[in-house]
Amino acid sequence: MRRDSTPSIRILAFAIVIFSIMGLYVLKLFSMQIVQGDAYRRQSQNISQRSKRLPAQRGEIFDRNGTVPMVLNIDSFAVDVTPGEISFDSFPTVLSRLAKILEVPVAELEAKLPKSIRRSFQSVEVKSNVPYSAITEIGEAIDELPGVSWHSKPVRNYVETGSVSHIVGYVGDITREELKLFYNKGYTRNSIIGKAGIEKQYDEILRGVDGYEYRTVDVKGRYIENSTSIQPPEMGKNLILTIDRKTQLLAEAALGKRNGSVVILKPATGEILAMVSYPYYDPNLFNQDDANEEYRRLINDKNTPLLNRAVNASYPPASTFKIIMTTALLEEKAISPDKKINCSGEIEYGDRLFRCWVRKPGHGPLDLKEALAQSCDVYYWIAGRDNLGVERIASYAQEFGLGQSAQIDLPSQTAGFVPTPQWKERRFHERWLGGDTMNMSIGQGYLLVSPLQLADVVAMVINSGTIYRPHLLKEVQDPSTNAIVSVNKPEVLLQSSISAEVFATVREYMRNVITNGTAQFPMHNKTVQLAGKTGTAEVGSVDHWHSWMVAYGPYDAPADEAVVVVVMVEASNPWDWWAPYATNIIFQGMFADQTYDEAVDSLGFRYIAGPRGRQE
Amino acid sequence: MNVRNFTYFDYILFSAVLILTTIGILFIYSSGVNSDGECISTEYIKQIIWAISGVVLIILVTMTDYRRYADRTFIVFLIAMAILVYTRLFGRYVNGAKSWIGIGDLGIQPSEFTKLIFILYLAYFLDKSEQYGSQLVRFMKSCLIMAVPMLLILSQPDLGTASVYIPIFLAMCFIAGIPLRYLGMILIGGGLTLVFTVLPLWETNIYKHSLPAIRILTDMRFTAIALIALCFVTVLSLIGRLIFKKHYYYWIAYITGLIAFSLVASIGASHVLKDYQIMRLIVFLDPNIDPLGSGWNIIQSITAIGSGGPFGLGFLKGTQSHYRFLPQQSTDFIFSILSEEWGFLGGLVVIGLYCTLFIRGIKIIRKTENRFGVFIATGIVAMLFFHFIVNVGMVMGIMPITGIPLLFLSYGGSSLWTAMLAIGLLMSINLRRLEH
Repeated sequence: MRRDSTPSIRILAFAIVIFSIMGLYVLKLFSMQIVQGDAYRRQSQNISQRSKRLPAQRGEIFDRNGTVPMVLNIDSFAVDVTPGEISFDSFPTVLSRLAKILEVPVAELEAKLPKSIRRSFQSVEVKSNVPYSAITEIGEAIDELPGVSWHSKPVRNYVETGSVSHIVGYVGDITREELKLFYNKGYTRNSIIGKAGIEKQYDEILRGVDGYEYRTVDVKGRYIENSTSIQPPEMGKNLILTIDRKTQLLAEAALGKRNGSVVILKPATGEILAMVSYPYYDPNLFNQDDANEEYRRLINDKNTPLLNRAVNASYPPASTFKIIMTTALLEEKAISPDKKINCSGEIEYGDRLFRCWVRKPGHGPLDLKEALAQSCDVYYWIAGRDNLGVERIASYAQEFGLGQSAQIDLPSQTAGFVPTPQWKERRFHERWLGGDTMNMSIGQGYLLVSPLQLADVVAMVINSGTIYRPHLLKEVQDPSTNAIVSVNKPEVLLQSSISAEVFATVREYMRNVITNGTAQFPMHNKTVQLAGKTGTAEVGSVDHWHSWMVAYGPYDAPADEAVVVVVMVEASNPWDWWAPYATNIIFQGMFADQTYDEAVDSLGFRYIAGPRGRQE
Repeated sequence: MNVRNFTYFDYILFSAVLILTTIGILFIYSSGVNSDGECISTEYIKQIIWAISGVVLIILVTMTDYRRYADRTFIVFLIAMAILVYTRLFGRYVNGAKSWIGIGDLGIQPSEFTKLIFILYLAYFLDKSEQYGSQLVRFMKSCLIMAVPMLLILSQPDLGTASVYIPIFLAMCFIAGIPLRYLGMILIGGGLTLVFTVLPLWETNIYKHSLPAIRILTDMRFTAIALIALCFVTVLSLIGRLIFKKHYYYWIAYITGLIAFSLVASIGASHVLKDYQIMRLIVFLDPNIDPLGSGWNIIQSITAIGSGGPFGLGFLKGTQSHYRFLPQQSTDFIFSILSEEWGFLGGLVVIGLYCTLFIRGIKIIRKTENRFGVFIATGIVAMLFFHFIVNVGMVMGIMPITGIPLLFLSYGGSSLWTAMLAIGLLMSINLRRLEH
């Protein structure tokens, strides 16, 4: 067979297929337009189907005890106008009448009903947050207000308006961009969608499924009887968070009005018991009619109240990083724990003078345990530079989850940053120097972590090598039966191969920080045995520092009962070395079941005021 | 340029394209007119710009000798695949599919242009492999060339655009002389997979009665039993074929093997595809089950076409479109506006113009000496044809909703340019049809 030309039978077959189908289409078109044309024409002139959305009620959000709601739905109304039902001549009168009832300028209504849609039968929401009295007024005058209707549009009322706003988030009308992105998930132009926090993260669970009411109308917009069919809406599910309301309030009070954040974590499960970021905002502001105005104000505020500092901000970890350094030195056996390094207050390297936070004559000779307790920079500079090296430091930082997302169930979070020599080469075209390693050894320089990540670092030490994925959702509950639909089980995020003995030693050293070290006074606590590490981060200014305290307790109980508290107070506040005090107050409040004020009194912190000198 | 170029320039084809594009612009304008008679959309102006630049493209491509690029098609194909991967990862969402790349409002839909590049490369391969000993190897390699772009576009996920590749492939392989039993595998296998995938949802949503036979598809245990039985028969027949050399054993294995394959593929498909995606494929069977979503579009479109009558309501006088009952009027549903305003006569004009394209295309296939050119022309005719029947079938309510545009008429720069480039290629082949 000759293969270099097509048998003409194949080309003929191809042509027959094409033209016979084209022929069929002509026939179909003929049957639709000529044979049945009249029927279709009557239908298009007389009848159209109209639908009304029956919005689903959004799920409510509770704290871990499931008793007190953090957010509720309150009845409120929205007024709709179906422009096609209003005759062209009566448009101005209807609009001015409606404007008067709703107490808005006529121009506002006109803007929402531009000329281009005035013959459309698609209803348009012209105002939400309409009080019941206005609705009754519309109801009484409905004959003079053709095309005007209303529907119930529950308002999201955030009961807790304090620091919990960063966790719960808020909702708003869907934007065009969001609709494009979620087009396939059943959102419509009128959908309400979570914009931040839990409301955004679990929007699909919370929002439920809208129902519909279909009715057939004739050309004048009158309903044709018996043509209604209803598909009922499905309510959204309730969420039960891991947040403990009492602990949240305690942490909020303990941080006070300082820019910063608190994370309280249960290391045995990864549950977040409290998460505070100051400043916070009132999510109810977004329900008001001038929500855009409020949003602009918040977004331009220089204290960034919309930023959740606990997960979305990253800072140099400063001396808290010495926990990881100590673990690395022990595990790698890079230095004998008993070997003493002499701190004379400063060392020279390259052409730079590195000064320990205690100036000359310095700490004197220290071994590893004492160096952690005194947070001696000279020790870690030398040990980091000469005994570990940047590669191993970076790899241990990553082993603890730094530089990676902590994967908490919030819409956004920072991964922080762990620098490497290759990165510096690429970014600045400069070689990584010994001085960079020294900076990194004390948690300064390019290293960045979020408060949540530091809480996870401590969790790994307590769990002897395991970090459970931090999470805020505890359970999902059915709104009508209150039955638990699903439970968010603990999930391992990271599993380290560092030996359990090393972690036990690190825990002992961290306890020593509280009993014999830098945090001896502010962290003194009779109720619960604490262990932890302080941190004070250089930010470039002379007398302002970021203040860290990472701690856990009880030290003398099994890992299952421990609670991690991380307090971070930014350098933008007047300096008062508050982080350790706040941490101690939180532990006192949690373990003695006291309020903030009672805890402050039992710790004797009532009269501590005013700025103090720098401590590590 | 010599005299022959003028004599062989296909004026009929060129004129048909110009008329179709002009009609398209008229109805894109019409779709932008609201019930007050004001034009509220500038889409038609953009379409005019694309059309003019598209005509320039036709001329440029016609003047270029397509054969000069034959051995570069592979590298172009690779680049196109890379762009598809990029689009999949960093593209912009349009109607739920990551199918756009671009800056601001300027953007292109790479999956449109990829169709042409696919046609070129497949044509090159089919031409080069004419002397292959084994047609099976040739067929398998062709399948691979189709699978790569198709799977990438499916993952966007854009079912409609991906589906266009199958008819193009079938037509080109058919003309290239690949044995029918291989093409039958794609045709039967694909068809059965589709049927098996939609049957469970068809049963619950449209048929609304229980059909015991469908439990084979929905109940994992029955599926497993059916699969094992089918595989058993297939293997047995293959053994029979080897031992007894009887031909009918081959066909038994062929059929049962294909059914088994489709069964597995449909299980895969129903896991990958969301219910709403499958529903969009079958909602045309009974639009009333979804009177607000895609069913609404079909009902409105059918009403619009039907009410057009023999001569239509007159340009700009349609009610369905100007009252905005019709969605995506300027893209997917352009044919319904045309049918409403120009009636059966207008529809006949468009169908006639399309038939002109096909007649010229088939003439080129018949008369061209160069095999590479023959295959390109076949792919292009198949592409134009498939777009036409799926889009017009959809607005008439006899084809699934896939959202693929009516080439030359629908609004959209990427699809118009693709169509124009295709016509340019056809004319370039025609100019040189007597050269080998």
